[in-house]
Amino acid sequence: MSTILPDMSAEAAFETDALATPAGRSIFGAQLNRRGFLATGGAMIVALGVAPGGARAAGGNSLDATQGASWIEIHADGTFLIRTGKCDFGQSTIYTAYRQIVAEELSAPVEAITTVISGDTDRTPDGGGTFGLLRTNALNLRKAAAYCREAVLELAAKQFGVPRSDIKVMDGVISGGGKTASYAQLVSGQDLRLNIPVAGELTGFGGLVVTGHPPLKSVSDYTTIGKSLKNPMTRAKVSGAALWVGDVKLPGMLHARVIHPATLGSTLVSAGKLDRAQFPGSKLVNIGNLLAVVSVNEWEAVQAAATVAADTKWTEWKGLPGSDKLFDHLQHKVDWSEIAPVKSGASRGDVSAPVAKVHAAAYFVPYLKHAPIGPTVSLADVKPDGSVTVHTHTQNPQFLRRAIAKMLGKGEDAVVIRTYVGPGHFGRSNGGNAGSEDEAVLLSRALGVPVRVQWMRADDMQWSTQSSTMFADIRIGLDEQGRIATYQAVHSGPPMQDDRPIGAVLAGLPTMDPPGPTNPSPVHGAAMNIADRWIYGAIPNVSETGRGAYQIGQRESPLHVGLRDHSMRTPIQFQQNLPREIAMTEAAVLAGQDPLQFRLDHTRDERFIALLTRLREESGWESRPSPSPRASARGKEVVRGQGVSIMLRDNGYWACAAHIAVTPDTGEVRVERLTLVVDPGIVVNPLQLRRQVQAGALMGVSQALHEEVAFDEGAVTSTDWFGYPILTMAEAPDVKVVLAPHAGADVYGQGSESANALASPAIAGAFLDATGRPARRIPLRPDYVKAMLAG
Amino acid sequence: MTTLLVNGEKRAVKAAADTPLLYVLRNELGVMTPKFGCGLAQCGACSVLVDGEEVRSCIMPISVVGGKEVTTVDGLPARWAKQKGLPHDPQRLHPVQEAWDREQAPQCGICQFGMMIKVTELLEHNPKPTDADIREALTTSGPSPHLCRCASYAAILEATHHAAQLMAQGGVK
Repeated sequence: MSTILPDMSAEAAFETDALATPAGRSIFGAQLNRRGFLATGGAMIVALGVAPGGARAAGGNSLDATQGASWIEIHADGTFLIRTGKCDFGQSTIYTAYRQIVAEELSAPVEAITTVISGDTDRTPDGGGTFGLLRTNALNLRKAAAYCREAVLELAAKQFGVPRSDIKVMDGVISGGGKTASYAQLVSGQDLRLNIPVAGELTGFGGLVVTGHPPLKSVSDYTTIGKSLKNPMTRAKVSGAALWVGDVKLPGMLHARVIHPATLGSTLVSAGKLDRAQFPGSKLVNIGNLLAVVSVNEWEAVQAAATVAADTKWTEWKGLPGSDKLFDHLQHKVDWSEIAPVKSGASRGDVSAPVAKVHAAAYFVPYLKHAPIGPTVSLADVKPDGSVTVHTHTQNPQFLRRAIAKMLGKGEDAVVIRTYVGPGHFGRSNGGNAGSEDEAVLLSRALGVPVRVQWMRADDMQWSTQSSTMFADIRIGLDEQGRIATYQAVHSGPPMQDDRPIGAVLAGLPTMDPPGPTNPSPVHGAAMNIADRWIYGAIPNVSETGRGAYQIGQRESPLHVGLRDHSMRTPIQFQQNLPREIAMTEAAVLAGQDPLQFRLDHTRDERFIALLTRLREESGWESRPSPSPRASARGKEVVRGQGVSIMLRDNGYWACAAHIAVTPDTGEVRVERLTLVVDPGIVVNPLQLRRQVQAGALMGVSQALHEEVAFDEGAVTSTDWFGYPILTMAEAPDVKVVLAPHAGADVYGQGSESANALASPAIAGAFLDATGRPARRIPLRPDYVKAMLAG
Repeated sequence: MTTLLVNGEKRAVKAAADTPLLYVLRNELGVMTPKFGCGLAQCGACSVLVDGEEVRSCIMPISVVGGKEVTTVDGLPARWAKQKGLPHDPQRLHPVQEAWDREQAPQCGICQFGMMIKVTELLEHNPKPTDADIREALTTSGPSPHLCRCASYAAILEATHHAAQLMAQGGVK
């Protein structure tokens, strides 16, 4: 999408070109040349006056990422435009932190970056997924900005007639030898190109990366990074000005509702009858097992689809264990020898060494749903010439483009993905699809008009992917002094990255393979990697093993569907950190130690030591062994407890304390407050980071207390918000967020993950403190809690 | 033919009388701020004010709202201007919207249309709500809690207090 921030900009552009020649002048690997000097095959041109889109690569629906102007444009009015293939899902990063990072590298005012173009496959350069936005992904625009700055400073040196070393830039003003000029003035009227080096594959999972080593501004010189910049999109959202994905309309468009199969393995026996007298504007479309009703009138489509669905016959299928038997199924029925195990890099020493005491237990995380508030919706327009435009909301538009092209058997040049504001879905589409995009394309192709597919709530709960289940067997051995001598963990679960579009699967059309050992994609295997970074350096003997499997029900399903899984906020690390941190608390209990001090005693990392020490102060932690002296597993009286968890993710250090109240007789768990102390690295934008951490932590409370996907032997039975409850405002505890960045940090701090993963193990620790009984699974909902307390 | 009064304008609509208001607003009248979330009155993304009371437009047939005043988030600035007798100013937002921006309340934002509608209803009745009043309004007062998947609840609480302050002082000064 294109977001024009407060002031509109003129059309002049800083343009660059694809090919560098040896004749071009190298600036840290970038090439700058005047067009007039170009040899055949040309170097780069910085061309003011070339309209945006001049950077388009020949012969395709793509920008040329090797052209600097594909990333950053300098406009004659002094404003800048930036482009990124990443999208916004509520993190605000591409509208706040990305502008700050580019402004910082340019030494220009952040307010001068007035336009952000994001996501659209024909209008952004890099592709790749929207995740880790401030980790590796930020480097693309940062390096592009650095190349751009260096090129313009070279121009300034020439124009001012002074050595390059005499040129300085501040607040967007370039000066040297007593002369000054703006970026715009320096490129104005010239015809230049800047070529920057890139590598990778545009429509691959990871997209393109800007390579080379342009000089990056020193952290100590930062003036814009670290400021609390407001998200300019917020006003557009709250005023109603923003165009949401579900708001997009095209002339002649039809509304579709898909009638998905009765189970995750059912095939179509006979489509129900569509009564044209009752639904005169509707039409039934059937492609393989893909069945849909389209209508000019959306409400008619909803009603007609419901009527047809009731009369449609599907084969019966029972290939799932049922969610109530899932843990048992994972422990005793799944063949974990099919996929080669993975040992973590932290494994060392001998875990069979003799110990004095042992804590051994199994831990379980159920399937979770991304559960966006708005069910997925897409509008596709397939033209008679075969060109395809999909209007949607995706975290990885270029990878979706590839999937759509593959489904249709077409070249990727025929497909354009346009992106819009949409409901957050927390990783579901980081491999392209979130559901509905492919169905809209197939229906539009079949009918020759634009088709909008809106999933209903039940479609979104039953036919989307889910975050995979996992269990862990953990064994901790204590020595005579109560210190951990051995730590052994086996993490077992199905894979988390099924990126097959479901409509294509139902229609029997080509898709990439499901996750499995033979899938050629490095991120679509079935091995279980250890994603939870090891942080207890004082433990001498460590063994961490991951065991993978096929997705549950996928091979048994005649549709090859079953429970399709997909990464979700803090994927895999959530499921591995939870058992580790609960087990650490249980080991502290076995040792008779304070769980917070116990963690301090087993880490050697100064940053964790600082963080835990700070957490003890900020959370009002009572230093004492757990359980609480007032702990009780019975009665009507509320019992209270405290718990702690820590995590290392993306070089960010996180610690959380939870204070909870449990009513044993009712099984009600209430989280009273959370305290998070975060050393994420460089805090790019304290305001936005704080909001991300706050909300992320509360989503974690939701997962800890409520969330579990229910399914029977054939289908997901969590079909709505009653079947998949999430946290409400009344249950939201106070969240205290303490940003405590380590001095000398050199990576940007991420905030939209980690926070959500910390809550569950801290709450489980507090449960043990309050009741004296361990909680080895989530969610802590009353029926499970009562069973835990009875046990 | 039903006549609706939407954001201060009389609009004749062709949709059948049993059509839920949400579909009429979005598809026939081009009023896009109420969002489809569940179609079951379980989430609040589609909320609008009908004669000042929050309702879920996804299940509310237009036959029920004919002749009543429907206000959506797009209509909040005009509602505020009318209540306060303020001159037309296209830049001016309702204090609730203003507070939502100042507090940077939304993450993805899809639930916030319903949140802002519910909080407008609350503040019109209770200009100085406590935390408990706000939690009650957004959790138990309607057919279902107003759900936020991003869990921006802490920000919503702060933004509601901020909005109450702005309204008490007569808007943005």
